[in-house]
Amino acid sequence: MNSASVIELGRPVAPRRTLLRYWQGTLRGSEFTWAIAFVIPYIAVFFAFVVYPVIYGGWMGSTPRLYGELFSDPIYQETVVNTLLFLAFGVNVKLFLALLMSGFFMHPGWPTKVLLMIFVLPWAVPALPTFISIHWMLNGEWGLVNNALYTLLGVEGPSWLNTRWLALGAAICSHVWKWLPFWTVILLAGRMSIPHEIMDAAKVDGATGLRRFIYVTFPLLANLYLVLTLLATIFLLGDFNTVTFVTGGGPANSTHVLATLGIRDAYDMGHPELGMAAVLSALPLMIPLVIILMRKLRTTEVQL
Amino acid sequence: MGNLSRRGILRASVQLAAAGALARPYIANAAATTATVWWIQGFVQEEDVAFREIVAEYQKVSGNTIDYSIIPYAPMRQKIVSAVTSGLVPDLFQNSPTELIALYAWDDRLVDVADVIDTQRTEYTETALLSAFCYNSVQKRRGYYGVPYTTAALPNHIWRPLVEKAGYKMEDIPKTWDAYYDFFKDVQRKLRAQGERKVYGLGFQVTTNGNDPNNTFNYFLIAYGGQDIVTKDGKLHLDDPKVRQAAIKALAYPATAYKEGFVPPGAINWNDADDNNAFHSKQIVMDLDGTISTEVAVIHNEQDYKDIVTMGLPLSNEGKPVPTQVANAFGLIPKGAKNVAVAKEFLKFFIQPSVNNVYLKAGLGRNVPCMPSIAKNDPWWLDPADPHRVAYVTQGLLGPTVPSLWTFNPAYAQVQNEHVWSTGWTDIMTKGVAPEVAAENCFKRIEEIFAKYPIVQS
Amino acid sequence: MSVTTADGMVLAPARPFARMRRAAMVRRYLATTARVLFSVVLLIWTITPIYNMVMVSLEPAGDVFSEHIWPLKPTAVSFWIVLTQGYWYLEFFWHQFGNSLYIALMVTLLTLAIGSMTSFSVGRMRIRNGWLVTNAALLTYVIPASFLAIPFYLIMNSYGLHDNPWSVIAALVTFATPYAIFIFQEYARSIPIELDESARIDGASPLQIYFKIYLPLMAPALVAVGTYALLLAWNEYLYQFLLLSSKKSMTVPVALAQFTNSDQAPWNYMMATAIIYALPPIATYYAFRGRMSSGLTIGGVKG
Repeated sequence: MNSASVIELGRPVAPRRTLLRYWQGTLRGSEFTWAIAFVIPYIAVFFAFVVYPVIYGGWMGSTPRLYGELFSDPIYQETVVNTLLFLAFGVNVKLFLALLMSGFFMHPGWPTKVLLMIFVLPWAVPALPTFISIHWMLNGEWGLVNNALYTLLGVEGPSWLNTRWLALGAAICSHVWKWLPFWTVILLAGRMSIPHEIMDAAKVDGATGLRRFIYVTFPLLANLYLVLTLLATIFLLGDFNTVTFVTGGGPANSTHVLATLGIRDAYDMGHPELGMAAVLSALPLMIPLVIILMRKLRTTEVQL
Repeated sequence: MGNLSRRGILRASVQLAAAGALARPYIANAAATTATVWWIQGFVQEEDVAFREIVAEYQKVSGNTIDYSIIPYAPMRQKIVSAVTSGLVPDLFQNSPTELIALYAWDDRLVDVADVIDTQRTEYTETALLSAFCYNSVQKRRGYYGVPYTTAALPNHIWRPLVEKAGYKMEDIPKTWDAYYDFFKDVQRKLRAQGERKVYGLGFQVTTNGNDPNNTFNYFLIAYGGQDIVTKDGKLHLDDPKVRQAAIKALAYPATAYKEGFVPPGAINWNDADDNNAFHSKQIVMDLDGTISTEVAVIHNEQDYKDIVTMGLPLSNEGKPVPTQVANAFGLIPKGAKNVAVAKEFLKFFIQPSVNNVYLKAGLGRNVPCMPSIAKNDPWWLDPADPHRVAYVTQGLLGPTVPSLWTFNPAYAQVQNEHVWSTGWTDIMTKGVAPEVAAENCFKRIEEIFAKYPIVQS
Repeated sequence: MSVTTADGMVLAPARPFARMRRAAMVRRYLATTARVLFSVVLLIWTITPIYNMVMVSLEPAGDVFSEHIWPLKPTAVSFWIVLTQGYWYLEFFWHQFGNSLYIALMVTLLTLAIGSMTSFSVGRMRIRNGWLVTNAALLTYVIPASFLAIPFYLIMNSYGLHDNPWSVIAALVTFATPYAIFIFQEYARSIPIELDESARIDGASPLQIYFKIYLPLMAPALVAVGTYALLLAWNEYLYQFLLLSSKKSMTVPVALAQFTNSDQAPWNYMMATAIIYALPPIATYYAFRGRMSSGLTIGGVKG
């Protein structure tokens, strides 16, 4: 078998399934040992560093009284709203833009290549200094944004970080700014692996531009897009850096999200149990997401 | 940077200090064991160097080993909380955040260090001793749970050139509280009239981030006569009309100043460093901020160093001196520490006035001693050539001082951590709530918090 | 416009073609303009915060917060201070840089190794009930990383890894591996299982299949995941902050955080440090980007 036919994409799936049934359960002695040997490292890691801390964290946050305290705190209620908004806009805007951008970057030519290289910078640079830079940029009195607005357009910009909604918007934009390149690159890879023949066939059939996107490209990427949405949601829920360094949770603790509130309760208030409770209160959202993700990964036949 | 020679001098001073007759009696335990110490990174490099020298000297004199880590400020807080929660604690650490001593004493997580304090009891100011005397809710008694070794307070920092640009002299500043701060509103008006678009008269930290806003509020509260909001026995006195009035005024004055445009709009969301940034770039004429780090930070810029004026607190509106609320750094020994004996011994060594002096001087006077004799015996502290230090020492060590309110009852620490008062400011500034109503909301929340911290004995 | 030949014949079809061609040209012109405009917007959006960082790093300390939008007196002294460890927050900069490098490399190698081995066993060798492993891996994400901080601190201490880079390596490998397994599973679907089977029939042991067939074919995915793991470890902040306490074991992100905790820090040094620190991953990404996309486009679209 030569390697050229190895990456034979778009191959029908059915024959593989019968082969799989052939493989399943027929691992012979030494092979079985190898299979186990390959899997052991991760299982060890999992038990040592996932099971143990999760159980401990769960135990920490297991007093019902904590949740009473949590839910009655008005800051907590605002925080939940912020988190949901963050998720709704952060994830969807990010991924939708990533989808569009991946199309944009498919265009041949060196300017696009250079642009892609620059575009990836936000992801590559560490979060702490970039978010602090954004925090300074958005300062109402001496930030770069307002200075530029004043110098170039003669307009006095608003105090970006002084009201809850502007500050929250700024945090969401910062998050998108940092992570958009990451998801764009994944979708771009997904797009690039769509076989040329399919695209050519579509072109021959008269589908170009938008129609080709809607009827050909997007359906092929749909599953990947869904999985990425789930992953993005999960990652976003744990995102601590954005809100901390861009808005600091302010003004007046009105832009906290669950991640930052948990850390604040744990360390600034000296109540680690309350912090864990704040985090665990996101479980009703997290568990369904993870379950859906698991099912998607089991049954999906994404043609990458 | 001349480190080598400086280090040499430091070493010599420490040796001199240790060689004094005082050193010997405290080094009783020569069992050559090791103690783990977590020490906060100093504000300037020399502080860390001084600490290393002191440790080296102690090790030489006692034969014990100190296994220390110098940890930056914020990681220290996380590590302490994690350590105490998990039970895997070092032998000695400091109170970062400052109210940790009260909170952990309440939970009976600290070792009683009265024996360490007793070695220098006569040296300490009464305020320093009071600050260490915290309530243990498990044993239902008060005790000395930390060993103080520095004091910090909030002076006023002012740019003389800006005051003069507005056509005034520093001597023109009024002496009583409200008039004092009103003066800067006038300075702003005059500066604006000259075309300075971006300058603001008052640098009040009306934010809900960090500890600066709590300090600012407390100072205003005390100035308006609300000192007795929490008394030494830990009881809350919100029913006292004097306290209520003071609280309402303390909420009203800064918030109103903000609404009227005399405080930078961004102040509502300042973090710890933002006020210093604003002050250093001359966006605000004055800043009420802790320690003289504001000045020390520009010590290499001679012009700026001379142009900043450090002033203690003005008199109250009735013309009486306002006591300065201070915060101390303490050495704390957690329960469960493996080597309490060496930790205590090291502390005894460390708080000897001569050794303590070496450490504090290395910090360039950012923190002042809690022992008046240090300032009196070493002319460096009151050297008139450095007006900043003189003003600060006079305010924080020699003038009237009171301990932080959470010493009496850790409930107040939670009040501060939740930024109850700052939220009151925000209500007034952004939601148009009247100061009396905002105060009522704060009072309600404070009463709820205090209910969780009952103090049983006197 | 019709074309008349020399002998007077009128060639009618020329007209619609010309119109079509012109329409196509106009469309292309509009499309290009749109692309250019969009590119400019994208550039401004991407670069501005980074520009702010660069601007701060090039200014002398006192000028950082004023009203201009480009550096009035640019000076590269802050970069020099960083490189020569000339400021006390930076006194161990190169040592800390080495720590970051060590941690990043270990995390990358371990994530790739463990992730690929696991997905090989589950996906290729089809170990029975392998789905348990992949699903369990995803459970790691149910409680996001920033929340497990305290439990992690505790267990690292009880494992004797206090102030040890391996505590951070363990934590980051734990969080990167599930993602790696996912990517490897997805990517491996495009490699026909017949390859493995025929090698097996030829007498190859699983180890040989793993090294000679699986890994080479997975190269682009390995590069993609490796880049992800590298950047994750290089830029991660919270766990390094919590688990590494002394100056000698700290990494650069933690050292950067020191600046934010002081009342008045030289921000230009901080930004210069950040920029210098950001260069290696950027360079790595650019170096490997070509291999990543070229691997995926064999037989596919030229990009």
